[in-house]
Amino acid sequence: MSDQPTTNFSESRPESRPSSSWGAATGSWLPAVILLLATIVVWEAVVRIFAISAFIIPAPSEIAQSLVAQWGTLMQATLVTAGEILFGFLVSVAVGIAIALVIVRFDWLGRALYPLVVLFQNVPKVALAPIFILWFGYGLAPKIGLILVIAFFPVTLSMLAGMQSVDRSLLSLMNSVGASRTQILFRIRVPHSLPNLMAGTKIAATLSVIGAIVGEFAGASDGLGYVIQFASTQLDTALVFAALLLVSVLGIAFYYAAEILERIVVPWAPKFSQS
Amino acid sequence: MRVETIRAAGGRPAHIRHDDLISAKGVSVVMAKQLVLQNIDLSVPKGSFVSLIGPSGCGKSTLLKVLAGLVDPTSGSVSIAGLSPVEAARKRMIGLVFQDANLLPWKNAVDNASMLLGIADKSLSRAKLRARGQEMLELVGLGDSAHKRPHELSGGMRQRVAIARALALDPKVLLMDEPFGALDAITRDAMGQSLLEIWQRTGKTIVLVTHSIDEAIHLSRHVHVLGIKPGRITESLDIGLPYPRDLSVTEDPEFVRLVVQLRTMLRASHQPGGAS
Repeated sequence: MSDQPTTNFSESRPESRPSSSWGAATGSWLPAVILLLATIVVWEAVVRIFAISAFIIPAPSEIAQSLVAQWGTLMQATLVTAGEILFGFLVSVAVGIAIALVIVRFDWLGRALYPLVVLFQNVPKVALAPIFILWFGYGLAPKIGLILVIAFFPVTLSMLAGMQSVDRSLLSLMNSVGASRTQILFRIRVPHSLPNLMAGTKIAATLSVIGAIVGEFAGASDGLGYVIQFASTQLDTALVFAALLLVSVLGIAFYYAAEILERIVVPWAPKFSQS
Repeated sequence: MRVETIRAAGGRPAHIRHDDLISAKGVSVVMAKQLVLQNIDLSVPKGSFVSLIGPSGCGKSTLLKVLAGLVDPTSGSVSIAGLSPVEAARKRMIGLVFQDANLLPWKNAVDNASMLLGIADKSLSRAKLRARGQEMLELVGLGDSAHKRPHELSGGMRQRVAIARALALDPKVLLMDEPFGALDAITRDAMGQSLLEIWQRTGKTIVLVTHSIDEAIHLSRHVHVLGIKPGRITESLDIGLPYPRDLSVTEDPEFVRLVVQLRTMLRASHQPGGAS
């Protein structure tokens, strides 16, 4: 946008103190890391002291072993699941945005659509998984469908909230110079909604992970959800935990990817990281 | 015909009635079964600076919205240079400034200043819009902050951008609804003084809604006092202090006398009812 960022611009930003903010970041991470390590140590100790069977609760060391031993299979499954999540997430965001735009732009359609969207939100989405398998088979399609129905809603809802929270006097200004509804929508409402939209997108990113795993549970021949199900029928609980660990890593990766996207799309959005 | 007379007159001597830029006749507004404004007659001479002052709930903001064409009067009529307020607004004759600057946080100051102009006139190129925005920022004293985003500007500076945005339309009249209401006292004084200078440089007609007695007297040529229940003009006061005025005018004995007089009028305007 602005092609000549002045030095003045960057100097006046209050958050341009990398050293101290890095110190603050490690300071805030440290307790979490310590607690995590302590949990792992206690877990390992409890399993060994009480000689708990590995197919009930595997020790962290056994999980690590399983992770290394099955690395190839697990990576392959991770890649499949990550593809489903990414594709499903993008479709959810696109559909979520489209529904929100239609609701705001076309009064009549909006009044018809909005209650139905809310009603649909109350359908237990997980229960749709078997139906999607029945309709779309065992491939990618039912997973995308399931992610879509689970994840589009926060996108639509957050974008609607953002578009409808435009200050009335700003709308008065626009109306006074004869701005059309479409102009107000795209020049004001949509950019105004971006901080909200990005918040909804982050929720959608997490829900997409759930959608993919549930979809794989219901019927799949590949992916981390399939590995979890297959391993549990074999009583290979260590492998279940290893796959779960990778699912969590995927979830965190997608969440932070959405957060990075947020920083890029809405640099003016309020940041909550600094207290 | 009427428009021509107005154009020809040019100067700004007060009290020349045929030279009114804005005239409201018998304006009443009913909202939610409440009589918000009753039988308002208001004339604003071209090039004048008029303030509307009154207690909360007297409908002064509503009156401004009627003048801006944002609220339709239930009865009565408003003409701005012979046009209805909505027509006048479409012809970019009306510049609006509210208490909240309402800048777009994703645009820098210069793009905010030219934003409304860009909507009003789609034929203008980006470069022309920028140039106009820059020109207006310089007029309001923000020439070197063109690339700053709203969050990098102080409240007073944001309000200056809002004024620049209104002026970019080159309107005939600036309608301002408590534009400095959210600012601290010192900034407020400085903004008032800047507004006076802008007014004298551009010759715009200004209608200012305020609840500050000092501000009304410091800035305006005519002050109209509105009373409550229903909202109506109870008194009008001409401010004879010569222009150009600066803040030292507040120490003038005449200023002090006018403050006392206006305060008395305002106190009376707090009494509901009562024909005026």
